[in-house]
Amino acid sequence: MPIAGIVMAPPEGSPSISVDIPTRPALAVPGVTRRRAARRPVIELTAFVAILVLSPLGLRLVGRRDAGQEQPSYLPALEATRPRLGFLAEPIEQLRYLQPAYVFIGDSMLGTRIDAAHLSTLIDDQPVAVLAHPATGPAYWYLALKNNVVASGVKPKVVFVFFRDTQITDPMFRLTEEYRWAVDHVALNEEPILNAVVARHTQGPWFQLHGLVSRFYGADRAGQSLDRTIRELPARMVAGGGARRFVTDMNRLFNYENLRPVASADIEAGAGPIPDFDAVVGDSLLPEMIRLVQAGGLKLCLVRVQRRPLPDGRPPRQSPELRAYIRALERYVQAHGQVFRDDTGDPEMTLDMYEDGDHVARGARARYSEIFRRRVAFLFP
Amino acid sequence: VTFHSLDFACFFLVTLLVYWQLPHRAQNLFLLVASYFFYGYVHPWFLILLLASTVVDYSAGVAMARWPERKRLLLGLSLASNLGLLGFFKYFNFFLDSVAAVAASAGVELSRPVLAIVLPVGISFYTFQSLTYTIGVYRGNVRARTDFIDLALFVGFFPPLVAGPIERAGHLLPQVEEARRFSWSWARHSLFLMLWGFFKKLVIADNVGVIANKVFALKDPGFEVLWAGVFAFGIQIYADFSAYSDIARGAAGWFGFRLMRNFDHPYLAASPTEFWRRWHISLSTWFRDYVYIPLGGSRGGRFAQARNVMLTFLVSGLWHGASWNFALWGAYHGLLLAVSRAIGPVRGLARVPPLLARAVQVVGMFILVNFGWLLFRETDTAYLLRHLTRSPFDSTPFQRQTGLYLFLLAGIYSVPLWIHSGWVAWRGEAPVRAHGGSFPSRRIRTLAFQAAVASLLVVSILALRSRTSLDFIYFQF
Repeated sequence: MPIAGIVMAPPEGSPSISVDIPTRPALAVPGVTRRRAARRPVIELTAFVAILVLSPLGLRLVGRRDAGQEQPSYLPALEATRPRLGFLAEPIEQLRYLQPAYVFIGDSMLGTRIDAAHLSTLIDDQPVAVLAHPATGPAYWYLALKNNVVASGVKPKVVFVFFRDTQITDPMFRLTEEYRWAVDHVALNEEPILNAVVARHTQGPWFQLHGLVSRFYGADRAGQSLDRTIRELPARMVAGGGARRFVTDMNRLFNYENLRPVASADIEAGAGPIPDFDAVVGDSLLPEMIRLVQAGGLKLCLVRVQRRPLPDGRPPRQSPELRAYIRALERYVQAHGQVFRDDTGDPEMTLDMYEDGDHVARGARARYSEIFRRRVAFLFP
Repeated sequence: VTFHSLDFACFFLVTLLVYWQLPHRAQNLFLLVASYFFYGYVHPWFLILLLASTVVDYSAGVAMARWPERKRLLLGLSLASNLGLLGFFKYFNFFLDSVAAVAASAGVELSRPVLAIVLPVGISFYTFQSLTYTIGVYRGNVRARTDFIDLALFVGFFPPLVAGPIERAGHLLPQVEEARRFSWSWARHSLFLMLWGFFKKLVIADNVGVIANKVFALKDPGFEVLWAGVFAFGIQIYADFSAYSDIARGAAGWFGFRLMRNFDHPYLAASPTEFWRRWHISLSTWFRDYVYIPLGGSRGGRFAQARNVMLTFLVSGLWHGASWNFALWGAYHGLLLAVSRAIGPVRGLARVPPLLARAVQVVGMFILVNFGWLLFRETDTAYLLRHLTRSPFDSTPFQRQTGLYLFLLAGIYSVPLWIHSGWVAWRGEAPVRAHGGSFPSRRIRTLAFQAAVASLLVVSILALRSRTSLDFIYFQF
């Protein structure tokens, strides 16, 4: 009897109205020998699995639609071909025009901290260039250093790279899937060093399996094609011929300035197990970044930003492993003649400066720039 | 280990291969070790809590059998330790925050200790599952077990461990104790169930989840954009949670276990009562049996019944998380149930053809459920209040267009869910049945149909899976 209008489950064994596990094994067909009957389910399951394995080959046909737009990847260790965004030459032109004394490279951690115009006024109007792209990682930063700063021929006094905790030695951070579109803008047709570093990280079973499936079925290519079709369909229904413009306008609705401050935003981006620095640095892009600045006669300053302080205002907690990692990183950078700056624990970088997650509030950028200028005053003569 | 990872695929295959080589008793021991490996893979210290809960309930069960006159005290100990663990890990900071907020509103600033308490995944599920054993022994409808391995496997069996279904001791324990036999037919259907689960998670939930996340990240979404986001979240949470249940049931099926069904096409519900018979069945029946009925259930007058419903749903809301929006969500559903029972069936619908009346009720209930999802999803009270006062007349044409676009996009991704539910409503049975019957032609036809549907699922998973992988929503509870 139902209990007063509340929560009654169907009784066990009631007729299934959903995809369900059978309540008993199938009965043998009369007249079929016992041995054949015993063999039949095995054959059926084998056929079933074979169909499952072979049917996705049809995806190759779907992916052919975009075959004309595809280019070989600069990361063959990660992917074969795909439609790519082009390399952007504008930053090079802007750097040549500006001739900056100081260049900053990083993601939104940099973008929400350094106010280039304000910093410039603090250092006798010496030009400052900020190459900040949200949701990027070491691969992007390395390529921006190599293909923008070094390629432009400018000679800044210092190149600053902003990062969180252990990101600088994780070349795979923000290099997969949708993050690769941003990397396209700073990558040349071939990036052998980056590819070699990536290759050392893609020998694991997951990457190998993913690569195998993608090559065998053309799944990624077909997926991109189908994804675009699915997203275009409602846009055409809503905006007709102006679908493309509508999607562009709609994307603007979700721009950073329209998002609410969320305390937890992006907090997880720097989380994860803490590696042993000495074990991972050889497989990272850090040695190559140092080699680049040394060859170009530049100075590199790695800036570890402070993550969001605790609710009571104390600096964020650091595990013993993380402390050991940071100590080793600092030793390594200094041993190679470069500079390491750690914001963590800075008494002036207080909780009230933060907006969402590890981002500093827009209104506090000038304050951060002033503090930063004082902390590394020896780099701003 | 999460289900949608290569780690899980390797773990599952190795465990399965070894498991079926072993005799029954060794199977249980091996499965227990594998389950503990599964649970402690990322945070081994979580195992201490799982083991503590198991030891307490094992001891309580044995002691209740030995000293029946002290049953009440022993049950109290079991309840206190299980709910104490749950309360500490889940509600400690919430409690301190609430006290501090109340004090602040009275002009008193309290400095409170800051403890970074990590909520062990699955603790809400396995503590409730474990309690069904001690409560069952106390009530006399479950026999006290002396074999620790069996009981530990019942509590820690890996497929439902992290997000249910919350099994009953009376249902799962006998399966642990009985010898299990491998069935190819069963394996095929378990595979199908897992595929359907992976499809719902990777293709539907994760794709519409991106829409919901983007909308709820906006400072000022218009009326239409907000409700498109709520609709997307409604699809996401159903696809996501039912996916976990299906994968868990399918995975358990490969080991010869049958777990209870957790969802029964809830968006086909025509009333609040029916919705709760179809949504998160293992939890709603838990609250019915262990909270609602002990409170008095449907006995007493209308007021007493309504009070019991409200209390049960308030507790159920808070079970989901230490946040007032979950309490509000529970209260809202309690109110819906109490009101729907008080006013009874809508009279005007009696004159309408039954099919149309049913359709109107289903759509109406779907809208009411989605209103509840707004309360569930929006954890910031200030934003929630702002959302509730939004008007469609304040929207710009562009906001209306955007809302419609997002609604259609979420709708497109959810089409397979609607087809599945629609088929069930129309035919009264699942589109892919478990059995093909005894006649070879019918059997082959069914097999071919199953293979075609399964192929479509695999192709869709490979090609349409979201590029943004999201965790299962119910991991946080």
